Amino acid sequence: MTLTKAPSPTRRAFSECLVDLGDQDKEFVVFETDIGYSTYTHLFGDRYPERYFNVGIAELGMFAQAAGVAASGRTVFCGGYGVFITMRAIEVIRSFVCYPNLNVKILSSHGGVTAAIDGVTHQATEDIATMATLPNMTVMCPCDSRSARVVANLALTTPGPVFVRLMRDALYDIYDENDDFVVGGSKTIRAGHDVTLISYGDIVFQALAAADSLAADGVEAEVIDLYSIKPYDRDAVLESVRRTGALVVAENHQAKNGIGYELAALLMKEDLHVPFEGLGLQDTFAESGAYNKILDKYGISATAIRSAVQNVLDRK
Amino acid sequence: MAAHTSTDTKLVTDLSQKAREIRLNVLDMVYTVQSGHIGGSFSEAELIAALYFHILRLRPDNPKWPDRDRFILSKGHACPALYAALAMRGFYALDELKTLRQFGSILQGHPVIKTPGIDMTTGSLGIGMAIAVGMAIDAKRISRKGFDVFTLLGDGEINEGVVWEAAQTANKYALDNLVAIVDRNRIQNDGFSDDIMPVEPIDKKFEAFGWHVLKIDGHDMGEVVGALESARDFRGKPVCIVAYTTKGKGVSFMEDDHYWHGKAPSEEQYARARSELMKGAIQ
Repeated sequence: MTLTKAPSPTRRAFSECLVDLGDQDKEFVVFETDIGYSTYTHLFGDRYPERYFNVGIAELGMFAQAAGVAASGRTVFCGGYGVFITMRAIEVIRSFVCYPNLNVKILSSHGGVTAAIDGVTHQATEDIATMATLPNMTVMCPCDSRSARVVANLALTTPGPVFVRLMRDALYDIYDENDDFVVGGSKTIRAGHDVTLISYGDIVFQALAAADSLAADGVEAEVIDLYSIKPYDRDAVLESVRRTGALVVAENHQAKNGIGYELAALLMKEDLHVPFEGLGLQDTFAESGAYNKILDKYGISATAIRSAVQNVLDRK
Repeated sequence: MAAHTSTDTKLVTDLSQKAREIRLNVLDMVYTVQSGHIGGSFSEAELIAALYFHILRLRPDNPKWPDRDRFILSKGHACPALYAALAMRGFYALDELKTLRQFGSILQGHPVIKTPGIDMTTGSLGIGMAIAVGMAIDAKRISRKGFDVFTLLGDGEINEGVVWEAAQTANKYALDNLVAIVDRNRIQNDGFSDDIMPVEPIDKKFEAFGWHVLKIDGHDMGEVVGALESARDFRGKPVCIVAYTTKGKGVSFMEDDHYWHGKAPSEEQYARARSELMKGAIQ
């Protein structure tokens, strides 16, 4: 797996793809909450002004209005910052998007602590827990430009509501034009037999870095990019964990009620009693500061993943 | 008297009769299942009757007809009156009404989109207004189907901030295909709205948000019809109709008492209420 520096963040790759898709599919529209120059949905608005509705700083109103547009079957993409569009509007998303199962697609930027320097008010660290809990909702989190583009396609073509977590910062690109992605799929991006590392979004790169450093010590970690969070690739997870006999899940999110909890429950249900560690914010808020420093302090960095691997290997 | 009052006396008489039938159906439903919201259903009865038997372009045999006008009951708890009107228009059998809120019924506790004739799920206050704005955006700027969108709000409901988010958007896109009616019955769950959260001046608030406003007596069918017709035809701005009404209208002991927001009548109360409605004792 080769890492190359990404030219732009996933939020931009996703929105650029919407512009391309807008040409092929003339039916869908985009709603925005006054951060179109940050989510890059303005690119869609520049190209298709008649199909772009900036409703101002009004997340709750946006989702209810989008539900009104979608009630006749039309697809609406809604853009905004993760913490605001999920948490301020969650009841509307639940009762008026998910319950009637409408084609509202959520472009959620600044996932996790990627808005690190903006402080806790701007960090979306409960978005996966809340969105994945909602019936009918599909949840995805691409880690790089290629997967973000494919996920934009999947969001448009998958029936019902779809939540896509995107990142503020440009990180790395690992996939090429031949890589395909599906709802409910995953990518094993590094093979290994000692431990399974599962992550999504930006933390995939921390997991890869941890795996590289472990390899130097003779530990072979398998790294899975679980870009489809709901539904997730149950078969791939079980197959890998049965082979490695240990699981570490790391996510830029509260550990509580994240995908780690979901996978731990899966292992119990399958009587797969293996050592497990779930990394993420441990029932705490983060703080303002450089992204890497926040990951380090709150135990979501490559170093923390490496320690967690040592821990599970000791318990094998 | 409002600026626009219908002079079609036959129409006004017929619609008043429909409003009375709606109230009788609501009373029977809520009494039968011992649950549901009578007060707000009675205050809106003339408005619902005028909409469903005169104003809205609908096809009961094809509930999802794409060009139909839309109606969003933002005050979703007052759905018994809406359910009654839909049954009376033939969207489903009148017999369904007695299944209100019961297990397996098509008539859920609050409106859901899958019920024939219901254009969108509502029940969380304030949200229906924003949904109606979205539908009006669709009709005017996306699908351009040209249908009109009507929404009915409670006066307590406009406490919700999202109502004003939606009001701003309606102004931005000059949604003159949108009519929001405020059922100003002066009472919300806990008491008089003037005590809970003063909402006046409603007309000046909507005007300040860029809306055209009409004020009417919501129980005077001539004014209701006149205002709805003129609101539908008004161009350039969204229209708000502030309909001054009485909660529990039509049954003496239910009027102006917040107790009847969401309570079901006893057998004795039911008999008295039915007799008053049959006689039209209070008009």
